[in-house]
Amino acid sequence: MLSPVDLSAGQEGSLLNRTSPLVKLGLALIWLIGLALIQDPIRPLTLAVVAVAAGLTLGRIPPRRLIRSLVPLGAAAISIALANLLFAAANTDPAAHELLRVGPLRLTREAAEAAAALGTRVIAIVSTGVVFAQTTDPTRLVDALVQQARMPERFAYGALAAYQAVPRLGQDLATLRQARRVRGLARSWHPRLLVGLLVRSIRHADQLALAMDARAFGSGPRTAFRPLRWRWMDLVVGVGGVTILGAMLIR
Amino acid sequence: MSPGPLPLVAEGVGFRYLGADRPALAGIDFRLPAGAVLLVVGPSGSGKSTLARAIAGLVPRDVPGTWSGSLRVGELETASAGRTQIAARVGLLFQDPGSQLVMDRAADDVAFGLENRGWALEAMRDAVPGALRDAGLAGFERRRGSRLSGGEQQRLALAGVMAPSPAVIALDEPTANLDVAGATALFERLAATKALGNTTMVLVEHRADLAWPLADLVLALDRTGTPIDLGPPGLVLARSRDRLVSEGIWLPGDAPDAGGESRPGMLEVEDDGPFLVDARDVRFAYEPGRPVVRDVHLVIRAGERVALVGPNGSGKSTLLRLIAGLLRPSAGAVRLDGHDPARLRPSLLAGLVGYVFQDPELGFIEDTVAAEVGLGLSGGAATAGLMDRLGLPLQTFGGRNPYRLSGGEQRRLSLATALARRPRLLVLDEPTFGQDRRGWESIAEIVDEVTDAGTAVLVATHDEAFAARVATRRIEMAEGWIVADDRGAVAEREPRSGTA
Repeated sequence: MLSPVDLSAGQEGSLLNRTSPLVKLGLALIWLIGLALIQDPIRPLTLAVVAVAAGLTLGRIPPRRLIRSLVPLGAAAISIALANLLFAAANTDPAAHELLRVGPLRLTREAAEAAAALGTRVIAIVSTGVVFAQTTDPTRLVDALVQQARMPERFAYGALAAYQAVPRLGQDLATLRQARRVRGLARSWHPRLLVGLLVRSIRHADQLALAMDARAFGSGPRTAFRPLRWRWMDLVVGVGGVTILGAMLIR
Repeated sequence: MSPGPLPLVAEGVGFRYLGADRPALAGIDFRLPAGAVLLVVGPSGSGKSTLARAIAGLVPRDVPGTWSGSLRVGELETASAGRTQIAARVGLLFQDPGSQLVMDRAADDVAFGLENRGWALEAMRDAVPGALRDAGLAGFERRRGSRLSGGEQQRLALAGVMAPSPAVIALDEPTANLDVAGATALFERLAATKALGNTTMVLVEHRADLAWPLADLVLALDRTGTPIDLGPPGLVLARSRDRLVSEGIWLPGDAPDAGGESRPGMLEVEDDGPFLVDARDVRFAYEPGRPVVRDVHLVIRAGERVALVGPNGSGKSTLLRLIAGLLRPSAGAVRLDGHDPARLRPSLLAGLVGYVFQDPELGFIEDTVAAEVGLGLSGGAATAGLMDRLGLPLQTFGGRNPYRLSGGEQRRLSLATALARRPRLLVLDEPTFGQDRRGWESIAEIVDEVTDAGTAVLVATHDEAFAARVATRRIEMAEGWIVADDRGAVAEREPRSGTA
């Protein structure tokens, strides 16, 4: 899940993928702020549907791939909503409207509404995130942050390099757990794994920093091999996105 | 843009790491003409990497310690030069291919060093495809570094180092993690680079058969980082051969069957003995549709010594993990001493199998060496003897932290932890990576001893010489299949080519 997303050729040529990642990031930000302001469960759900539809059409994300990344996160959203429904304080409030009572369990309408609002908001956030990730190459995102948003390049490319190293850390974790088993330790999950993982990530980071240093990173002014320019498309997607969001949020 | 090759001169170079009780390098002198190749050889811990990093200006700039003497690239003093000045002249290739690739796509990674040096876009677009082509990676522009084989990754890293046309490059054991094919391909590219004559090269390398023919000058260091000899390869071999051998330095022509004929007192394996390992139709895939191990059928008897060879990515490590019960097969069955090892209680599994991981650091669990080797054991007497023999006496090493040991010490500690419970099966994953001749011999001797006591040994290795030295049976894997198995034909083994 953490490894870089492999974009297919169709995805790479799509409108959303060619749009500046900054525009998409900006839209996602407006989206998040908007979500904080609304209470009902219907509008977040509508927005989630819009995001998924945009991802499928404008982003040309293969449907199967989209479902595969949405399902685990969607399941998490539903379980969050369920937990909030069952353990809400409103359930014990005598003034709340009772919907259902099974033995000691009492569900109220207030709790159900709050849980639905929360669950749909998580779904809205998750679907935006997945569509963003599936239409954005990490290298392009960092290029845009550096070239168009003037983020310090030392930080940005350092973070990108660290991100590329994440899958490797996952392999290390698997081996650390196997080592515990073959040495006779019953529990392969143990807080001590963190020590091993920490040592490994420091080692990787050290080597990477040395390698970047040896390749003259940060030695002077830098040029760009993948220059990015603002394009009309960015404006169109940006204005279109803001209009749709505005219309739905204000309604 | 390129200054052309520059000479490299060292006068009395020495370096002591902060807190170390002796220098890593001392009294290094050489004069390397522009465009020539210097090969640096020496046992583990002789300061070879320190020298390579000093040439690239990383030592002493990024590493705390005491520097002495003068090291000059052309007229530029590496210890006091600015980063930009050094970067304009020197490139450095590291040992581990995976950890030096910065960008996702091959072309972007090659361009990374050019962007950092402020090249114009047009110049970069010209240089990148050429650098990839020179590294034998024509057309790889859009490929992902993380999906390439180890050998391809290392050539991609070479392309990144060569793209800015450095006047000097230093290569720090560039083939240590590569299989024979990957190492040979890399050296073909290095020979082509040398033939162009645009770069002065300093090569730290222990694959003697590949490296010595390329060298114009050889610098041999001893255990303390002090020079033994400096001169043209033929001359160094003629006058210092005995000294180099006694220091544990690999020499050309050494590797195949080094001491392989003498295996006195070897236990003959009975053909009808009980199976210790019995794997049938074993298949395994990390991701659906991409099998890593395919329909493997393998039985191993007690006391057998089996070498598993094959290129990177052929499924060797995965098969070892399946047999040791660390992974569960997707199809088929593994039996280890009659049990399903993947379902065995860890305490029982640990008594059956000792496992040395390719990267020993990933196998450590405790805070001290003594606790590490004593894990799960009641008495300490037996381990004390074992640790003495491995050169890690508990009086000195017992209180140290396993993560703080040197690479060679970590490998030996890992071997000790695997042997402490006297397992029935000893599994070794690439035990000779980066070992000097002495470390190599001590591992081979321990394999001899444990098999004489009835333990079976299964070793995955790229090192054909090691396979020939320790194994009585050689199994070859390719793309997940077992493609050859000489099934215990001990006497009629043919001599094999290939090097360490």
